[in-house]
Amino acid sequence: MIHYLLLPFFSFLFIVLQTTVFELLFLNLVSIEISLILVIYAGFHMDVLKGGLLSFALGFFLDVITGTIVGLHIILYLSIFFISMLVSLRVYAERALFILSYVFACALFECGVVLLFYKHIQGLDLFHKFDTVFLPQILVVTLVSPVCFNSFRRFGDILNVRVERSNKRSRNR
Amino acid sequence: MLFFKKHRSLIAATILVVISLIMLSYHVVNPSVEPGPVRKIVLDLAATMERGVNTPVEALENIWKRYLFLIGLERENRRLVQHNALLTRQLVQHQEGYLEAQRLKKLLSLSDSISYETVAASVTGRNRKSLHQTIMIDKGSIHGIKTGMPVVADRGVVGRVIETSGHVSRVLLLIDESSNVDSIIQGGRGQGILSGDGSSRCFLKYVPKLEEVRLGDAVITSGICGVFPKSWLLGTVSRVARGESGLFQTVEVRPSVNFAKLEEVLVLTSPKKGRND
Repeated sequence: MIHYLLLPFFSFLFIVLQTTVFELLFLNLVSIEISLILVIYAGFHMDVLKGGLLSFALGFFLDVITGTIVGLHIILYLSIFFISMLVSLRVYAERALFILSYVFACALFECGVVLLFYKHIQGLDLFHKFDTVFLPQILVVTLVSPVCFNSFRRFGDILNVRVERSNKRSRNR
Repeated sequence: MLFFKKHRSLIAATILVVISLIMLSYHVVNPSVEPGPVRKIVLDLAATMERGVNTPVEALENIWKRYLFLIGLERENRRLVQHNALLTRQLVQHQEGYLEAQRLKKLLSLSDSISYETVAASVTGRNRKSLHQTIMIDKGSIHGIKTGMPVVADRGVVGRVIETSGHVSRVLLLIDESSNVDSIIQGGRGQGILSGDGSSRCFLKYVPKLEEVRLGDAVITSGICGVFPKSWLLGTVSRVARGESGLFQTVEVRPSVNFAKLEEVLVLTSPKKGRND
């Protein structure tokens, strides 16, 4: 029960840290979306309810704090979380190369959805920003993802994750 | 009951997706809706925490500027003295022009210059995700700020408020692609819509090719749409291109405000009582 009570506070703190400290580390040149990596990690290691609520809360706070339309990142994060859950049932998701490739694909998916959403729903064409804004973000998120996965694993006790699923798969292999 | 226990995960997933779809649909249909209490609290808390993080960073920057950057101070001082003399001359010229305009206005029985009640605010944060060019200011709804109010600085128009919470507000800058301001070119009185390009420039759209536009012409607000008061400086024409096809010319405008160095702004809340717009 304590997990569900702490979840909103944890998510809020995480997004605030992401938009302040993490961006300072990159001299405010690139927005680094660690929350996306956390959602993917949750998809691989957490159950539907906990992971779904975490994705929902992260998406909500990201939308509110960054001024994006409320609901856009919630939908995106929930989609990525559920897709990651399905992928984790079939793939051993602990190899660095797989993590890199998968995070890259998810970041690209997120970017594509955001661009299409703005173009078709908001009437705002942001495709020209792909090279200068989105691609650097995608590459940075991809490159830091293995380190983030390791960090999340270490904080696993706090997050109350279930690592049994992936361990069981690795034993079977 | 057994059904709910058995399909707990599926039900939870469905509920989350449905809630998020409802939220997204609602905000797409009502884009300018006032933020609810939860969003206001989140924005206030986030702004407070961001200030906590930014304070030591700014302190470090100040140390760098004050103590380590003194090497070029003498040269900078000489340049500033010359610049000051130039500005003083320009100020005298502008004052003459202003007085002349005042006299002409009286003669033509035109209304007095625009006068608004203002709220001064400091810039506390800038856009973080680079999708929109926005800034956060440290004044919100309890200071009388509402969505849609124009924001200006000493050099001209900054943008308009698009979101407010109790103590902070988000301002959409002129240079954002979704910003549209009805404008006039001061020289030729040609009208157009000023939009941002998402980086640091603006473009004046829908200016017919027959309209004479010169480099350096001031672009000011027209006051037609009612959001911005009339005759506020937006920027100056920095490039004009007349393509072979099409009805309109491309007019690039350099904003008068340096958004990267913006620190204090004024929010125009309402016209002063007893004065005409």
